[in-house]
Amino acid sequence: MDKTTHFGFQDVATNDKQGLVRGVFDSVASKYDLMNDVLSFGAHRLWKRYTIASSNVKTGDKVLDIAGGTGDLAIEFRKKVGTSGQVVLSDINAAMLGEGRKNLINKGVFGVEFIQLNAQKIPFADNTFDCVSIAFGLRNVTDKNQAISEMHRVLKPGGCLLILEFSKTDSELLKKFYDFYSFNVMPKLGGIIADDEESYQYLAESIRKHPDQETLKTMVLDAGFGFCEYHNLSGGIVALHKGIKI
Amino acid sequence: MQHFVLEQALNYLLDQGAADLGALNGKTLHFALEDLALEVNFICTNSRIFVTADTTGASDVDIKLKSSVFLALLQGEELTELLRQDKIIIHGDVKIAQLLVDLLQQIDIDFEEILSKYTGDIIAYQVGKLAKTFKKSQNPLETLKDELTTLLVAPSKSNLFKHKGV
Ligand SMILES: C[S@@+](CC[C@H](N)C(=O)[O-])C[C@H]1O[C@@H](n2cnc3c(N)ncnc32)[C@H](O)[C@@H]1O
Repeated sequence: MDKTTHFGFQDVATNDKQGLVRGVFDSVASKYDLMNDVLSFGAHRLWKRYTIASSNVKTGDKVLDIAGGTGDLAIEFRKKVGTSGQVVLSDINAAMLGEGRKNLINKGVFGVEFIQLNAQKIPFADNTFDCVSIAFGLRNVTDKNQAISEMHRVLKPGGCLLILEFSKTDSELLKKFYDFYSFNVMPKLGGIIADDEESYQYLAESIRKHPDQETLKTMVLDAGFGFCEYHNLSGGIVALHKGIKI
Repeated sequence: MQHFVLEQALNYLLDQGAADLGALNGKTLHFALEDLALEVNFICTNSRIFVTADTTGASDVDIKLKSSVFLALLQGEELTELLRQDKIIIHGDVKIAQLLVDLLQQIDIDFEEILSKYTGDIIAYQVGKLAKTFKKSQNPLETLKDELTTLLVAPSKSNLFKHKGV
């Protein structure tokens, strides 16, 4: 029998997950930015800004943004690294990358490189980047350990990994509100705004399946990072894990 | 979150050319304030400094001291003198420890300027609070040092982190 993995709350054949995730992002690509603003009440911008500020990225650095979608992080990294640096915006999904390209042009941001890649197999040499980031992408990846190992491999010694992802809140009250919101309101809004209730149901489910803060920290350390710490944002609804390759 | 401002301040100093990582590059220094059970690692690597609460990894230099001694250090007390008085315990190269202390002592910078980029979010909110403290203070640099010290020794008491989470 095929090995299985989760796709939201469903068990699916491991080999099928990537295609199913592609279906989700093909479907939401054109409405992605609008939906992000609506569903998170704009908070995703603050979470991303905190990620950039924590990155320690400076002029001349090389940065790889994985699962970069419409390019929010890449735009900010571009400003930080200056003309002597390099920013690569990557995603497995051509439709999302296409939206990213449009978004950057609209915002007058140039000099970012685009590449379609799977986080599990990063087509760059060892020790290439000063910083690798992945925002709200890791939970969609089939083999997360493999992806984190790849991120470790392409980082230079001293390089920094940033994983921004939905996580677990330990506030009971917040959890109740959040559960109600994400399972009852979010998919309905997805249906109304993006005409795609199913994809937003997947989004809510995939968040619950994602490893909690401590588990992800252990995964980062197990991949070979010398240090890893996480910062809870919005009460742990989101966490930023920061790993340093030694 | 607690170490964010310290990390920003140190790297700002390096970026401005006001200090040089030099011999610190490649070293990890473990700082422990015994009386407060507060531990921080300063990872000096790739021409920058990461300040992290993850102290599980190996370090090159271990520095143990009381919070009052740490305050004295930041206020310019000589490391060698404090060592002589057995107020600080250092395992590893004292010269490396001295370099980090030199850096920490230099954090006399305009916080408003470093953080003004991050407007419109919680960080700006915190900076606003700090800026207000600056205005009231006779000597903004002293206020900054106090803030940083509070931040390091008792983050929950710091004006910068009174407001938790983003
Ligand atoms: C929720 S979006 C996040 C986009 C962007 N980083 C942001 O924060 O707005 C998730 C992205 O992960 C991408 N993705 C899913 N699986 C991937 C994989 N295995 N490798 C690279 N990207 C992947 C999707 O195509 C999608 O663009």
